[in-house]
Amino acid sequence: MEVEISRRRFLHGSVALSIVAASSTFGGTKPKESSHMPANAYGITKTSTGGVEIPTLCEICVNKCALLARVEKGIVTKLDPNPLFPKSKNMLCPRGNAGIQALYDPDRLKYPLIRNGEKGSGQFRRATWDEVNAYLKEKIVTILDEEQDNRSSFLFCAGEGMAEHTFKTFYQLFGSSNWLNHASLCLQTVVSAYGVTLGAYPFADLQNAQYVIMAGANRAEAIVTPDSAELFKKTQGRGAKLVYIDPRFTNTAAKADVWLPIKPGTDLAFVLALTYVVIQEKMYNLAYVETYFADFEAYKEHILSREYTPEWAENITGISAKQIREIAREFMLYAPKAIYYPGRRSTFSQSDFQLRRAMALFQALSGGIDTKGGLIFGKNLPLAEHEVSSPIYAQAKSRAIARKKNVKKGESGYEDCAIISGGGSWIGWRNRFLEGKMPYPVRGAFIYKHNPVLNMPNSAKSIEMLQKMDLVVVIDTMPSDTAMYADVILPECTYLERTDPVVSFAGAEPSIAQRNKVVDPMFESKPIREILNDLSQTISKPLFDVTKKYDEDVQAAIEESSEEAVYADFDISKAFEHSQEEANKAAVAKYAGAYEYLCTKGVFYPEMERRFKPINANEFQYYPENEKAYSVQNGKPKTASGKIECKLTTMAEQGVDAMPTWHEAFTFSVPEGKFRLITGRHAQFTQSGTANNAMLRDLMDENYLWINASVAQKMKIRFGDTVEVSGKVGKTHLKAYPTEKIGHDVVFFVHGFGSESSGLTLAYRQGGNDNAVIEDIIEPVYGSSIMHETNVEIKKV
Amino acid sequence: MAKYAMILNYKNCINCKACEVACKEENGIELGAKAHRIWVGTYDIEGKYPLLSIPSSTFYPSQCQHCANAPCEEVCPTHATYYDKNGVVQIDAQKCILCSYCMVACPYDARYVDTRTMSVDKCNFCSDTRLARGLKTTACQATCPTKVRLFGDMDDPNSEVSHILRTKEHFTLKAGIGTEPRLFYIK
Repeated sequence: MEVEISRRRFLHGSVALSIVAASSTFGGTKPKESSHMPANAYGITKTSTGGVEIPTLCEICVNKCALLARVEKGIVTKLDPNPLFPKSKNMLCPRGNAGIQALYDPDRLKYPLIRNGEKGSGQFRRATWDEVNAYLKEKIVTILDEEQDNRSSFLFCAGEGMAEHTFKTFYQLFGSSNWLNHASLCLQTVVSAYGVTLGAYPFADLQNAQYVIMAGANRAEAIVTPDSAELFKKTQGRGAKLVYIDPRFTNTAAKADVWLPIKPGTDLAFVLALTYVVIQEKMYNLAYVETYFADFEAYKEHILSREYTPEWAENITGISAKQIREIAREFMLYAPKAIYYPGRRSTFSQSDFQLRRAMALFQALSGGIDTKGGLIFGKNLPLAEHEVSSPIYAQAKSRAIARKKNVKKGESGYEDCAIISGGGSWIGWRNRFLEGKMPYPVRGAFIYKHNPVLNMPNSAKSIEMLQKMDLVVVIDTMPSDTAMYADVILPECTYLERTDPVVSFAGAEPSIAQRNKVVDPMFESKPIREILNDLSQTISKPLFDVTKKYDEDVQAAIEESSEEAVYADFDISKAFEHSQEEANKAAVAKYAGAYEYLCTKGVFYPEMERRFKPINANEFQYYPENEKAYSVQNGKPKTASGKIECKLTTMAEQGVDAMPTWHEAFTFSVPEGKFRLITGRHAQFTQSGTANNAMLRDLMDENYLWINASVAQKMKIRFGDTVEVSGKVGKTHLKAYPTEKIGHDVVFFVHGFGSESSGLTLAYRQGGNDNAVIEDIIEPVYGSSIMHETNVEIKKV
Repeated sequence: MAKYAMILNYKNCINCKACEVACKEENGIELGAKAHRIWVGTYDIEGKYPLLSIPSSTFYPSQCQHCANAPCEEVCPTHATYYDKNGVVQIDAQKCILCSYCMVACPYDARYVDTRTMSVDKCNFCSDTRLARGLKTTACQATCPTKVRLFGDMDDPNSEVSHILRTKEHFTLKAGIGTEPRLFYIK
């Protein structure tokens, strides 16, 4: 019989890991000293008070800026910018400075905890690591036994971070197919749209751009390095014209040359009209279009025949036709040193994917691709990867998705979106779970550095999902709202207490940087790698015993060889046996001296001693101008075809518009008496992650509802009055901030407040939670969550 | 001996308050107070939506101006406020009797009460923290994302501060009242 042929070799695939090969050694040479960068200039330095400065990377948001942590008598006393890192350019924002408070937050998770009250009650008992691992073993084995070794009966989800990959490795070896990360709550649409159009999600060379259109990216408040540091030194007549488009007058508007309030969700019409102008007036870069565009004639015909004129867009966007013409012409005049800034945040509207496509195509029409002052691909310093074999479980089912029945031609095969991406559709998955549409029971969840209760629309549904799970394991540093619904909490140490996987940062000035441990983990907290190592050592064999019971492939393989030999492939713990330091050493082994640099200075790039020079007391040269990677392939797009893709024929087969198209349903409208709720970020807070930070709360201790001053006056709402914001899915309370900086039918408040976790003693019930109110509307292409299509009522309470 | 001064390229300021947090962390500033050593000044925006004036929302980062003729020093009855050898206006918390004359006298509203020491406090250019450790930058300067500030010695003709004062147009706040601030704003 065919099945009797050895299938052992089919029992494992491989997982790319950033872990070390046992035989690898570190043979780096000592870095040369130079007059510009003496060995102790930056990096590990003794302070005059007997302290020491340790270079590491920030984790208070996603940027990973380089910092020097001053440690005196074992206490971290100050975080300062590390000037050596080309990405963060010698800066540390208010949140970065306040990172000390994350380390010394009295509310942080200190010990492993096991729930001993009702789920969601916040009642936990302290446990030892051994106890908690044994507890998890029993629970996981029971569930997997009952589910006949369907590994996908556990969900794994993670927030962004340098160790996200470490956690994902655990998920892969565990054998589940249900992985959800932050992508569908964040930049899935923008990254994918630029990816399919240009072949990559590019960097913006703001240092050299002379004209910038920034729409829906509030870089003075939603700080991104190096973009925020570079742009605002140049605006307002000092080197670059900034045209800023936002329904709100933000701090970025205050630094702009032109601010144009737009009706929320109508940016696509604005970009289509810009495109119309440059095509109709033949102002685009003819040579670039001829060389690198695919299907340009089709796109041209599409734009012109649908009459996406500035006059048409004026009605939709609220931006005058005259201004649209002027901006289109100016952009092409400054091109290729002109940037339509790609942005990176969450999905605004249903049209988000097509909006980002239209932006990428408009940029490409200018020829400002892979060139100085435009959008650039940059260079990468590759790291060595190591692979370990990953077991394949015959009983593990594929990702829990809902396929559409009777699919017609040109339609998506899935129920809630066209394409299933690696990070999945979070709200699509969650809602399917609640609606009983799962193809099999999912009974447990591992949640790492992720806060589904506050981080995605419709908090009530996230809570319901967590309550319906049999086993929720939360790995975090803080008792977040999600942790309150955990059965088991595993305390991770903060970023200042651990070394993380080394990371390569691409760009015009590529570098490698490492998060170095500054102080030992406090209390009983541990780095994720150690948490997973200890847990997997406890559960690996018992889980294999479950597999052995149900998996016929495994049974056959054991018969052929031995249990021991088969188990070797199923041992989860093997991925975590080496220390992070060993793994990092191996990852950069090909760069001579790199590991030593990373440990002592935090940053490495080739020929750093020659290239790095102070320009003045505040600024530094990282690479000489002629060695910067502005252009890596002479403007050629990175798509497989080597062309700018105007028309996506294959995606059209999934029901996605082949070219950016405006639909009537995208039009902005708010019923009388209601307001469109928009949300966003803040320079002093990183979503819900910093809500309990004492230093940041000293700047602003709650969020406020922006409401137009004239409208507020009519409603008798004054500054500081508490208002109720309510919509279809829920309500929240916060204080009012009447202002002229927002339109009559739009309200705004910053995301990340309104925590209901009693474990966060400072953040508890301070301000309002936007996701209690925002409806869970699923974006049609990638299933991202749409943040700006909820209408709300406002009432003084 | 030096004559310390600070240059503010205030047009770069994005009002992120990294300077304020860096100052608090470096100098152990009391939390919860309404006033601090350092702040970003803002005004109510002019105009009605959607016609708003961008210049009216310019950000003005500020702190003690370290005046060469400091009214606060003049009025202090106990000499708690004094000049140090580098021209920095300093406060001796032990001598301060909290009469608050200096707070009234300061034309820049740069002073506030620290309720832990029960004395008036203000910016001292990080002189007992960073400068004492041999650093050449203040906390606010070092951390700034858009590099608003530059600290240095006006008496040293080769310092960057001196160079900028020679080559760039600048102004001081309330120049007409004769306080001679050592904080210079770049035009």
